[in-house]
Amino acid sequence: MATTTTALATTTTALATTTTALATTTTCKAQPTYYNRQPTMDAISDRVFTESVDSSNDDPSLLTVILDLSPASWYNIKDQISINEITKSLLVFMNAHLSLNNSNQVAFIASGPQGSKFLYPNPGKVYDEIRTREEDVDREPSPGLVSKEMYRQFRVVDEAVLEELNQCLKEVLATDTHKSALSGALSMALTYTNRMLTLDQSISTTTASAINSTTNMKASSNAAGGSGAAASGTAANSVSLMKARILIVSANDEDDIKYIPIMNSIFTAQKMKLSIDVAKLGTKNSSYLQQAADATDGIYLHIDDPKAIIQVLSTAFFVEPSIRPYIILPTNSNVNYRASCFITGKSVDLGYVCSVCLCIMSVIPDTGKCPACGCVFDDRVLAQLKRGPVVMSRKKRKVEGTPAVNP
Amino acid sequence: MDDSDEEYLSPSMPPSRGSTDSPKGDGVSRRTRSSANGAISDLKGANGYAWEDEIQRSWDIVKNDENGDRSLESIIQSMIEARKKKIMRNPSTPFQRGIIRTLIVVIDGSLAMLEKDLRPTRFAMTLSLIQEFIVEFFDQNPISQMGILMMRNGVSNVISEVSGLPQYHIDKIRQLKARQHNRYEPKGDPSLQNSLEMARSMLMYNFGGGHSNDTKNSKEILLIFGALFTSDPGDIHKTIDHLVRDDIKVKIIGLSAQVSICQELVNRTNNEQKSISSKNYGVIMHETHFRELLMDCVVPLPISEKDKAEQNEKKNGVPLIKMGFPSKIQPKFTVSINNPNFNIDFPQLSASHPTQGSEDSKQVVEVSTGELGSDMNPNNVIGYQCPQCKNKVSNLPTVCPVCGLMLILSTHLARSYHHLVPLAPFTEVPVSSSYTSQYCYGCLLMFPKGVSVKSKASLESMTSSRYRCMKCSNDFCIDCDVFVHEALHNCPGCENN
Ligand SMILES: [Zn+2]
Ligand SMILES: [Zn+2]
Ligand SMILES: [Zn+2]
Ligand SMILES: [Zn+2]
Repeated sequence: MATTTTALATTTTALATTTTALATTTTCKAQPTYYNRQPTMDAISDRVFTESVDSSNDDPSLLTVILDLSPASWYNIKDQISINEITKSLLVFMNAHLSLNNSNQVAFIASGPQGSKFLYPNPGKVYDEIRTREEDVDREPSPGLVSKEMYRQFRVVDEAVLEELNQCLKEVLATDTHKSALSGALSMALTYTNRMLTLDQSISTTTASAINSTTNMKASSNAAGGSGAAASGTAANSVSLMKARILIVSANDEDDIKYIPIMNSIFTAQKMKLSIDVAKLGTKNSSYLQQAADATDGIYLHIDDPKAIIQVLSTAFFVEPSIRPYIILPTNSNVNYRASCFITGKSVDLGYVCSVCLCIMSVIPDTGKCPACGCVFDDRVLAQLKRGPVVMSRKKRKVEGTPAVNP
Repeated sequence: MDDSDEEYLSPSMPPSRGSTDSPKGDGVSRRTRSSANGAISDLKGANGYAWEDEIQRSWDIVKNDENGDRSLESIIQSMIEARKKKIMRNPSTPFQRGIIRTLIVVIDGSLAMLEKDLRPTRFAMTLSLIQEFIVEFFDQNPISQMGILMMRNGVSNVISEVSGLPQYHIDKIRQLKARQHNRYEPKGDPSLQNSLEMARSMLMYNFGGGHSNDTKNSKEILLIFGALFTSDPGDIHKTIDHLVRDDIKVKIIGLSAQVSICQELVNRTNNEQKSISSKNYGVIMHETHFRELLMDCVVPLPISEKDKAEQNEKKNGVPLIKMGFPSKIQPKFTVSINNPNFNIDFPQLSASHPTQGSEDSKQVVEVSTGELGSDMNPNNVIGYQCPQCKNKVSNLPTVCPVCGLMLILSTHLARSYHHLVPLAPFTEVPVSSSYTSQYCYGCLLMFPKGVSVKSKASLESMTSSRYRCMKCSNDFCIDCDVFVHEALHNCPGCENN
C-alpha cells in the first residue's frame, strides 16, 4: 500500500511537470484573446485580477485544501468513494504541489458539523522526528499510508493530516448537528492565507526551513513574543511574492450554507486575488460554490465519477491560476447566480429586495415589514407587486378629427 | 507588520508616514481608516499638516527599564499593535443605511485647479483619484448611481450622465484626462450655483425613472472645490433652499481653504447647526488626506433621525423592489477532446440595454458568434439570462429590456451586507501570567507566553497580543483582528459554531 502511494506521488509529479510544460506551449497560442479582454462591469467588479501582471512562475504558492466532512453527504456516495480514498488522493495532490517548488506550502482544513479545524499545519505538534516503534503502534492512524522512507516533507504533511483527520472524524461522529461550517473553514483559510501572503511566514512548511523546524518553532515563538520587528525582518520577511489558492472538496448536496458569511469570504478572496477552486462530488451542483469559483476565477468541477478524482486533481486543479488564462480547462459552463432568501433560506432567482438593507425575500412578508432591518414597506408598492401582471384594457382611441361631443 | 519593521529599523524615516500601511494589494484595506470627522489618520497627530508635525524619533519612545531587552521587545510589540488597532476604527453600531444612492460628483474645473500644489496639478490629481473613487463607490454601493459634472468658465458641464455603470464613468474621466490640453482644460471661474442647480435637476430628473423611483433613496452631491470664490448669476441662498427642500445632501472637499458659503451649504443641507465644523466639509492637507476624504464618501450615509421618525409614523414605507437573479450562461461550448482547436460555436442573441440618456443609448441587439476573433471580447460572449423572460443580456446590473425586471447579480447585493451585520470589535485580553490560548485561531500564529508581572510600569507597556471575540471567545492576533474587521467581516470562530 505504502509503495503504491509513493509511486502514485511520483507519477503525479511527472504529470505535473508535463502539465506545466503544456502550459508554456499553449501560452503563445492563446495570448491574443487574453489581452483582448475589455473591461466591462465584470472587469471591475468580478474579474478584478485576470488583468494583473503575471509574476514569474517560480514564486512559491500556498495551497489550502478544505475538505467538507459532513457525514450525510459522504454516506450518500459511499458506493462511489470513501473519505479514506479521497484523502489518499488529496495527499497525493498536496505532495505533488509541494514537489513543484521548494518553497511551496500547503494547508489542510477539515470542516464538519462540529466546526472547522486546521489539520495541517498544526503548530502544537512536531511531526518531524521519525517516531519510535511503540508510538507507531499507539498513535499512527493508518500505517499503510505513510512509509518511513517517504520524502520528509511529504511524510510530515501526510502524517499530520491523517492523524488529525482520524481525530476529527471521531468528533464528527460524536456530534449530531447537521450544519455546514464551510463558511468558517473558508474564513480560516482566508485569515491563514492573509498571514502567509502579507505577513511573516515563520510557521513555515517549506522544505528548507522544515529541516530545522525546531529552530523554526523557536523563531516563530520569538517573533510572536515581541521581537516581531527584528526576527521577521531578518528571516522570511521579504516582500512576499507568494501566490495562493484554495481548493474546496465537498460532497454536500444541501444548500444549507450560510449565505452572508460565504459571500463575505468570496469578496475577500476576490480582493486578495486568490482563486477558490471547487471539486464538487455528490449528485447536485452547489450554486454558492459555483458562484465562489466563478467570482474568483477559480475552477468549478462537478465530478460525476469520483473514483478517478486523482486524475482530475492532478490535471485541472493542478494548474496555477496565473497560467489558467492560457489553458482551455474543462468546466461546467453555466453558473447559477442564485441568491438566498432571508426568510425561508431557500435559493431564489426571482425575488424581492428591500431597498434599505438589500435583503432578499422570495415572498412578500405578510407583516409588510422587512425581516432584516424592520423597515415598513410602502403600501402602494406592495399592492402593486401583489397585484401581479394585469392586461391593460385598451382605451378606445378617439378617431382623429372628430370633435368632442358637446353637451 | 512589514511596515512597522521598517520604521523601527530605519529611524531616519519620520514615523508620521502612518496610514499608508496597507501591505495587501488593491482594495483589501485601501478603504480609508480615518474616523469620519475628517480627522487625519492616527499618527499624523491632531493637527495634521505634515510640516507641522514634531519630529518623532523612535528611539525617544523606547525607554529601558529594569527588565532589560525582554521588555524592550514587548514595548515595541505593544506599540505596533496599538498602532494597528488605532488604524482600524470600524463603526460597529448597526445602523441602517439608505443603500441605493444617487450621487452627483461636481469637479472644479476653474483656473484654480491648475495650481501645482498637488502633483502634477490639482486637476490631474483629482481626476485620477476620482477614477479610483468610482471603482470603490460601485464596489460598496452596487446598485447606486452616479453622475459627474464640472464647473468651468462660469458654467457647468456634464461629464457623465447619471448611470449605474462604473465603466461608463471611468471612460468619461479617461476621455477628460486625454482631452485636457484642448477643450476641457481648467478655465475661468467656478459657479457653485450653476453646478448645484444642474446637479439638483439631474438628481430630481433621475428619480423619476428606473428602479429608484422613491424619495427614500439618498440624493447626494459631492463637490470638489479648488477655488476660494464662486461667481454666480443669482442668489445662491435660494439654491441652497431648494437643495434643502429636495432633501439633497451636499458634501464638500476643499482643496485650498475653507470657504464660508461652502460651510453654510454643507451645514444647511445636512441638517446641522450653523457654522459648526462638519464631517461633511473637509479641507485637504495633503494628497493622502485628499484620498481619505474622498474614500469617506464611499460609505453609505446613515439614515438620519428625521427619516427614521418619518418611517415610524408610517407616512410611507420604503419600497420593495422586484429583482431577478440571472444565471450566467456561456454560449460558447468548446469541445476539445482530441483537437484543442476544434470548437463548436453557437451564435447567441443578446439584447443589451445601454446607459440611459447617453449618446449610445439606442437599443442594441447584438449577435455574438463566440468566435475567438479579433474584436470580440470574451466577456461579451458570456451572457446572463433573465429568469423571468429568458432573454439574454450581456451586462449587469441592468433592467431587462424585454420585461423590465431589474437584473442584478446576487453578489452585487451581498457586497453591502456587511454594513448590515457589522462584526463586533474584539477586545484585548489583559496581560496575565498564563493564557488559555496558545495560537491565533485564524492564522495559527503562536502567541507569546504569559509573563509574571513585576511592576505596574511594565504592565502598561505590555500587551497580551491576544484579541478575543466576545461571542465565540476565540483569540486572534492583531493582524487577523484587523483583517477580519476590515476585509472579511466574518469571525472565523463564530462561523464554526
Ligand atoms: Zn430591509
Ligand atoms: Zn426579462
Ligand atoms: Zn492571526
Ligand atoms: Zn467570534
